[in-house]
Order: sequence, then structure tokens, then C-alpha cells
Amino acid sequence: MLSIASLGLAASVLAACSDDTKEVGTADEFKGKITVWDGPRWPDKDENKFHWLEAKIKEYEDAHEGVEIELVQVPWAEMGDKLGVAIAGKSWPDIAPVDISGSAVSIDHIEQGVVEPLDDYFDKEAKADFYENALDAYTYDGKMYGIPNSITLHSMLLNLDLFAEAGVTPPEGGEWTYEEFLDAAKKLTFDRDGDGKIDVYGFSTYIMPGYYEAWPFFYKNGGSPLNEDMTEFTFDTPEVVQAIQDLADLKLKEKVAPETHGGNDVGGTFQAWANEEQRTVAMQPWATWAIGAAQGKYPTNFAVANYPTGESEKPTTIGGVGGWVMFHQGEDANKKAAVADFMKFISTTEEQYHMAQNYGIFPARVSAAEMDPFKDNPEMTRAMEMSDQVVMLPRHPEWRKIDEAIQTQLQLVFNGEKSAEDAMADAKKAVDELLK
Amino acid sequence: MTQQPIGATPKKEGTALKVRKKPRRTIFLQMRKNYSSYLFLMPKLLLFILFVAIPVVWAFVLSFQEYKVFGSEFVGIDNYIKVFESEAFRIALKNTLLFTVVTVPFSVISALVIASMIFVLGKLSQSFFRSAFYLPTVTSMVIIAMVWRWMYNYEFGLFNYVLGWFGIEPLNWLGQSSSALWALIIMQCLIPFGVGIIMYLASMGSISESLYEAARIDGASTFKQWLYITVPLLKPTTLYLVLLSTIGSFQVFTQIIMMTGGGPGSATETLVHLIYKTGFRDFEFGFAAAQSVVLFVIILIFSIIQFRVLRHDE
Repeated sequence: MLSIASLGLAASVLAACSDDTKEVGTADEFKGKITVWDGPRWPDKDENKFHWLEAKIKEYEDAHEGVEIELVQVPWAEMGDKLGVAIAGKSWPDIAPVDISGSAVSIDHIEQGVVEPLDDYFDKEAKADFYENALDAYTYDGKMYGIPNSITLHSMLLNLDLFAEAGVTPPEGGEWTYEEFLDAAKKLTFDRDGDGKIDVYGFSTYIMPGYYEAWPFFYKNGGSPLNEDMTEFTFDTPEVVQAIQDLADLKLKEKVAPETHGGNDVGGTFQAWANEEQRTVAMQPWATWAIGAAQGKYPTNFAVANYPTGESEKPTTIGGVGGWVMFHQGEDANKKAAVADFMKFISTTEEQYHMAQNYGIFPARVSAAEMDPFKDNPEMTRAMEMSDQVVMLPRHPEWRKIDEAIQTQLQLVFNGEKSAEDAMADAKKAVDELLK
Repeated sequence: MTQQPIGATPKKEGTALKVRKKPRRTIFLQMRKNYSSYLFLMPKLLLFILFVAIPVVWAFVLSFQEYKVFGSEFVGIDNYIKVFESEAFRIALKNTLLFTVVTVPFSVISALVIASMIFVLGKLSQSFFRSAFYLPTVTSMVIIAMVWRWMYNYEFGLFNYVLGWFGIEPLNWLGQSSSALWALIIMQCLIPFGVGIIMYLASMGSISESLYEAARIDGASTFKQWLYITVPLLKPTTLYLVLLSTIGSFQVFTQIIMMTGGGPGSATETLVHLIYKTGFRDFEFGFAAAQSVVLFVIILIFSIIQFRVLRHDE
């Protein structure tokens, strides 16, 4: 295991080697305050969800006299808004856990210099330990703008108790075609008490800007939202339109999804699958955090499966990468080196392994994944096997607006107000305008 | 007859008008004389300047810029042109206008009716209803929105449960474009306008009893007394409440972000929610500032119209 002091030294040496003309500072010479924002993670015995970072901060402060690290606790739901306001007011923290293509920090911010590049502190060898797609997610214009910390993806979660009740066999190895999925959804939609009302539905999900649980279904026949050079909207091709209509028709035509299918109630949708008092839906797609929730707070007998395949015959899922970002540091090169040093300190192989085991995320470091953090967790192991099915969303500076233009049209397809074809034709008008 | 300036001596034939100079009372002297009042005002005034006046001026300045973290650019009226060309702004304006046009009259009239019903009760009952109707005003809109979201729930919400009694199929209140905005309007209408009720009650107490006595002697029914004495004499209060609730309705936000996020599609998109998204999701602060200025002008125009229509005739 790397010692704290050696990390600090490594940061300084790497920095010194990277650029002769630019002063990059020495982490060990910095005395002062570093501000870190973080959201709640897994709880300790006192239900403190910030204990992991608090312990790391103490460890670092003890080893670096004169360095004070302030932890600002921010609920995840408020992280984007608070960072947005902080950036607008130039009062950002030194470090925050954000996705650079996400809602809080965008490519536009990188272009404006709000986010610091970290290449001075990572040589080629250090970068080689990260999965390529994880590193890509924090790379822009050839520079590294964050330390990847975790990889998440979406998978299908199947309630095995409901499968057993309906006499449905889960897909073998979690692999299935859309026809097999639809057949299962039909059998899983049933009236339990014979009162003429459906008590359990086969499937449901929700549609909201910024959320992508439903999207792998739209990729089942091939296609993507934008063309390769991101100059044209391509979610209006016949195969994508058919895929969108198929998913909406689970409610509109097949009646195997509840009326709330395609709505905007994230919590309500999850409760319908996971809450012991409800369990009114047998299958739902969720990001990996839900696996942890179904193993912890909402104990559920469940299995993880691929998204069903369509014409492309290739299972697909949408992935995301989380990590630590350093915000603009001004002229103090020593502070910048110290901030980078602390970021590396909380992103080591051991920390990523520890976080994977406790927080239900996949490590972004190859070395951490090789330690097999999920050897006692078959559901997470199964989800991790889906890593090679991951497609990333387009990284366009206007992605938030593009996403909204698409998702608001999708909402209208799912509530039956528009056909998928008309909705995507309208989305095309809006998106192509944004791509100009 | 020619009007003379106040303090002027009568004009004599063939002489120039001599205006007697008023004692020089500069602002400074006046402030010195009333210094204790200004001292009491100072804390609030400073807070007002810091948190209201400066941000308002800054928003106006920002509306002519393309905001960038390190050095914004002056873009003239480009942001305003964008506002008027924006389809999203037009939809949000239409939704906000519908919300305002329905909820404001309903809230104010219902406050008047409820206050009139409470006013005739005994002291104890009055206190109880006063508190009961004022309670939603001191409750966070976030909490109210969460409760209403549950009431509109498709599967186990109160509204669909009641519809079920009459054999009516459940409605996806917040999930359909045709019903989502109306669901929010119904919610707003059914939340008692606590401030309005309290203010009407206070104003009713100041109406002279002799007017009602005279009307009773003339044989006026209770309803006619209410219609021809109470309602006209409450006109200044009504004007104030209409202005207050119009401004509040134009700024509707919490319900939207908590219950619909502006959807489905753009069915419940409102101006302040759009401004919020433009500023804090798209980081286009200049454009958001221009939208805010346009909203300010719209509210100002509405306020002037209402003031002129409803103002108390001297």
C-alpha cells in the first residue's frame, strides 16, 4: 500500500518531470486549508454516512502538519444545484465528486478554465491503471480533468418471488431477447386476489431528463441519439423509433405496465419494485445503487439480468463514471499540488476496493477490480459482467438541452399523446437547432 | 383664476412675481432631525440594498451579457431577442398566464367569502378558524406539494379513491398533458389564502356598524348588506390582495419542481421554473437574467392595470 508521504512525494516528482517551464508546486510545502464537498455514502454503526471521508481527512491532516481539510456535506440531490451556484459565484470548493459531462460541471466549464487539468500529477503509467472508458469520461481535448473513482451501469432487476408466484422462469444467465422479455412481462402481469384488477405488472420504468434507465431499450435495434461527429440527431431512425414505441406499448398496447410507466416519479417507481408493502412490479431497470438498496434497506429476493436484445442481437446498457474533480486554483502552485495529492490519496486501489465493497459501485481502477471486491456478492458480480455492454452518452457541450428535448418528447410517447415517430420528428427539430 | 405657487406673495400690477424662499431644509438636515428613525430603518435598509437592490440591478446588467466565469461579454439586446424568439418562453408564459388568471380570482374571492363567514362567528370560533386557515401559509410549500403529489397518485391517491366511489376510472392527474396543469391549478385554488382571510377579517372590523344599521332600517337583506357595503368598502384590501397573489402566481415554482418538473412534455412549464433551468441547469445566466427582466415587466404591467381598475376612488 502506498504511504501518504510517498503519494505526496510522487505528486511533486511527477509534477516536476512533466513540464520544465511551468511551476507545478510541491504538495509537502503547502500549509493552509483545502475544501472538499462530498455526498452521503455508506453508514457506519452511528448512521454517519460521511465517516469514510472524515477518517481519510484525519489521516491526511495527521501526516501533513499545517494542512486543514474542511469537509462540506452536501446531499447528492443538491450537489448539482449547489455547485452550479458556487461556480456562478466563483466560490467553488477545491475538490468535489462530479461527472464532467453531468449537470453540475460541463465541457463548457472546462473550456472556461473552471476545472483544473491533472496531467501534471499523473504520468502514463499512473493513468494505465484506470479502465479506458473511465479515463475517457474525464478526458477532454487530450487532458485529464478528474480522477475516475467509480463506474456505474444500468441493469434489469428481477423480483424472483414474483417470478415464482407467476410460474415464470428467469432468463438463463440473465440473457434474453425482447420477445422473451415481453412474454415474461405478460405472464408476470396478474390479478392476485381475483377482484378483476391487476395487482402485479410485469414491467415499469420512468422517463425524466437526466435519467437513463429506459434508454438501453431504445438501443436494442441499434442506433444512437447523435451521429458520430455529433452534427445530426439520429434517434429518429426507424429502428430506434420502433424500439421507443415497443417500450411505450408495454403500457399502451400490451397492458403489462402500470399507468405510471413512463412518468416522472423516480421514488414511487422504485418503491413499486422494492418496497415489501408494495412489490407491484416484477421487473425494473436501475443503476447499480439499486442493487445495494435491494440487498440492504429493501431486502428483496432478486436477480440481475441484461437488457433484452432486439434486431442488433447485442445487449446494451448505458454507463456512467464518477470521480473527483479539482476546481480552479489560482496562482498557488503548492496548494494545487496538495489538492492533487489529497485527491490521489482518496482514490488509491485500496480505497476504490473498499468503496466498491461498501458502496455498491464498480472500481474505476483495474487493480481494484482485480482484487475481486464482489466475490461474495453474486448480484454485483453479474452486473459487473455487463461492463463490456456499456455505451456512453454523447459528450456534447449542449447535451443537457439535447437530453431535455428528447426526454420531454419521450414523456409524450409514454402517456400516449404522440407516436414515437412524431415525437422523435419533433425532437429532431429542436436538437438539430442546438447542434447548429 | 390664476393659480399661485404656495408661499408666493400676491402679484402687484407691473411688478415681477417675488417668490418667498422657503427655509432651506436640506435632506441632510431632515435626516439629522429624524436620525433615530433612520437608525431604526438602517438594518433593514442595508439588508434590502444587499440582498434585493444590488441583485436586481446586477440581473439587469447581466441581461445584456453572455455570462462567463472569467469575464463576461457584452452582447447588447441579443438575450432579449432570444427570449422573444424562444418557443419554450412562449409556452411557459401561456401556462403561467392560465395559472394566474384562474387561481388569483379564485383565491381572492374564496378568501373574501371565508372571511365573511368567519367574521360573524363568536370570538373563540373566529380564533380557531383564523388559525386553521392561516396554517397552510406557515407550512412549507415543499411539504404541501409532497402531500398533494400523494393525493394525485394514480394507484393510491385520495382523488382517484374518491372518483372510484362514483365508478369513474382513475385519472393520471400529473402524467397527462391535458390534466397536469389543471391539477396544479386545483391544488393552488384549494390551498386557503391565509393572508387574504386575515387581512379581510381585519378590514371588516374597521367598517362602521352604523352603515349596516342604516341598511337594515332600509330593509336590506344580509346578502345585500354584504354586497353593497362590505364588498365595496373592502376594495383597497382587495386591490392589495389581487396584486399580492398575482405576483405570487407569476412566480409559481415550488409546486412545479416538486410535482411535475415542468412535464409531461412542457405541459406545466412556468416562467420561473424556466428561468431556474436556464440559469442553473444550462448556466446561461445572461439569458436567464433577460427572462427575469421580461417577467418583471409583465408583472409590472399587470400590477398597473390592476391598480388602475381596482384602485379606491377618493
